[in-house]
Amino acid sequence: MAEVLLKNIKKIYSNTESKNRGRGLFRKKKAGEEEKKINLQITDEGVVAVQQFSLDIKDNEFIVLVGPSGCGKSTTLRMVAGLEEITSGELYIDGKLVNDVEPKDRDIAMVFQSYALYPHMTVYDNMAYSLKIKKVPKDEIDRKVREAAEILDITQYLDRKPKALSGGQRQRVAIGRAIVRNPKVLLMDEPLSNLDAKLRNQMRSELIKLRQRINTTFIYVTHDQIEAMTLGDRIVVMKDGYIQQIGTPQQVFDHPANLFVSGFIGTPQMNYFDARLTLKNGRYFVDIDDLSIELGEEKQQRLKDNEVKEQDIILGVRPEHLVISDKGIKGRVDVSELMGSSCHLHMTVKGKDVITIVPTEGKSTDYAGKELLLSFDGNVAHVFSKETQKNLEY
Amino acid sequence: MKNNINTIAKLKLLISRLIVYTVLIFLSFLCLFFFYLMFINSSRSNAQLQAGFTMIPGGNALKNFINAWNDSSISIPVGMKNSFIVACLSAILTSYFSALTAYGTYVYNFRFKKLIHLFILAIMMIPSQVSAVGFIQLAFKYHLTNKLWMLIIPSIAAPSVYFYMRQYLEATLPLEMVEAARIDGSNEFKIFNQIVLPIMKPAIAVQMIFSFVGSWNNYFMPALLLNDAQKKTVPVMIATLRSADYSKFDMGKVYMLMVMAILPVMVIYMILSKSIIKGVTSGSVKG
Repeated sequence: MAEVLLKNIKKIYSNTESKNRGRGLFRKKKAGEEEKKINLQITDEGVVAVQQFSLDIKDNEFIVLVGPSGCGKSTTLRMVAGLEEITSGELYIDGKLVNDVEPKDRDIAMVFQSYALYPHMTVYDNMAYSLKIKKVPKDEIDRKVREAAEILDITQYLDRKPKALSGGQRQRVAIGRAIVRNPKVLLMDEPLSNLDAKLRNQMRSELIKLRQRINTTFIYVTHDQIEAMTLGDRIVVMKDGYIQQIGTPQQVFDHPANLFVSGFIGTPQMNYFDARLTLKNGRYFVDIDDLSIELGEEKQQRLKDNEVKEQDIILGVRPEHLVISDKGIKGRVDVSELMGSSCHLHMTVKGKDVITIVPTEGKSTDYAGKELLLSFDGNVAHVFSKETQKNLEY
Repeated sequence: MKNNINTIAKLKLLISRLIVYTVLIFLSFLCLFFFYLMFINSSRSNAQLQAGFTMIPGGNALKNFINAWNDSSISIPVGMKNSFIVACLSAILTSYFSALTAYGTYVYNFRFKKLIHLFILAIMMIPSQVSAVGFIQLAFKYHLTNKLWMLIIPSIAAPSVYFYMRQYLEATLPLEMVEAARIDGSNEFKIFNQIVLPIMKPAIAVQMIFSFVGSWNNYFMPALLLNDAQKKTVPVMIATLRSADYSKFDMGKVYMLMVMAILPVMVIYMILSKSIIKGVTSGSVKG
């Protein structure tokens, strides 16, 4: 385990580099891979993939970099790994400046999305490869490989070649190959993306267990916000090469820094309404139609500290926080999706698409076509500036 | 009515199969007939060969073999040894260095990479006879004739082998694997030798056999460079036998030497045929 410090890291792909690159941000689209939406800054020097990236990762911390495709999260991870050059800024691992240190000398291990197992080697040899290179004695290699295999429950596959394993087993081998070295930092680049939904859920909980068993600093890249929320001690939300917010999953969920974060974290996505923030007797209210909701105490304090004035705002309310009420914003249900324990209602409210989640509570209610009034609590209302799209709490 | 339709469909299938098999049999005949003829002719005496063409084997195979073996103008063991040295080393070195070059241009990013790739491919368009003139002049000027390595070294730079290897790498080697090896602590040469080469085994097998056959059968350059009897390769020896004076000329002997010349190639092809088929078809279907 080690502390990792990233100080004002910047990555620019020069124009020739971006043309030549066959991997990373500009790599060719593979079959089944989603189209990368690139909305990055282009300067005379080239394409800016990451900028002003500063982060202090504590010993043994699990950090998740999350964001949409092309936001620079994988590039950042690859810079930590030493697979990409850092254009400017400083990267410290365990207090040592490692900007120009080779990947093999950084004492890191990495798990790739495609597993990147050596196909001609058995699982045992795959896991032992890095130790053999380090010229670790044979009996120690054997002990370490078997220990890691035990943790990951792959002992019975040690003699097999990767092609004889399922996706989940391959991913375990990839993780085994990484942890067998007992690295200071364990980097994971979308390790669960190639698995099906069921296996992904299973592997997610395995990762949580693994994390409890091994002492190392984790940096995990994903575009899946559920993985980010469930795995990370802290999550770093990125967009277009910039950090949007750093915080615990709860902080990011409850107090998203801006409109992008609020929309990216949480499923289904947050609903937005045009509303007005008003001050009545020193208390903040959000007014929408006839509804006037007093904000919760924590939000009152944050807005007061920032001396926020009355203004038109974008009001954000998560679908699970919208409730059917006698008084509220009027909307019409277009589609009702029964999800089992709850029902997702797709509504049109003031010309906008809105989703609300209502518990079924054992009753079968058909909401389709009905007109409903929606309300929400002051603790769960998020107020964003119309001009800057930033959360006014910050 | 239904029975009629079934009969017509069956008839159509039968006719189409008949056409396909006829074409395939004809093509197989074209490929194999001349081999068969060579084996037949190697068992016939010169007089029988002069008399005309036949499909029935003669009884002179052993005699032809002894005559060829004992011919004073050539030494078959020496020719075989020379051919083996040239063909084996050419095959190994060509495959290894072409794979290395292909790996270099595929994995690394450097200035003028595309240009270098195109330049190598452009060399493919130049016939070897064109560049041979300068090469022969050079060899004579610096007294480098009658040296086997003069046949081996130039064959290492083989653009077509490079192109094949590059295509194979693009289809089979994910860059993440190279990066994983780098993180595992491997240096660049170890990555190539321990990770990439084993992955390229089918491609290397294919190119080794092609290079081996190419070198083994090569007559043009050896004929120009080798005139010492102890340095001659098998194709040059066959030509020597053919050009023997009329009184000694024995066509049966020449055919027997041809048979002996192709046998090692056939054996190697049989050994590597599985890898060849795997190598030729790999990359066509996602594994």
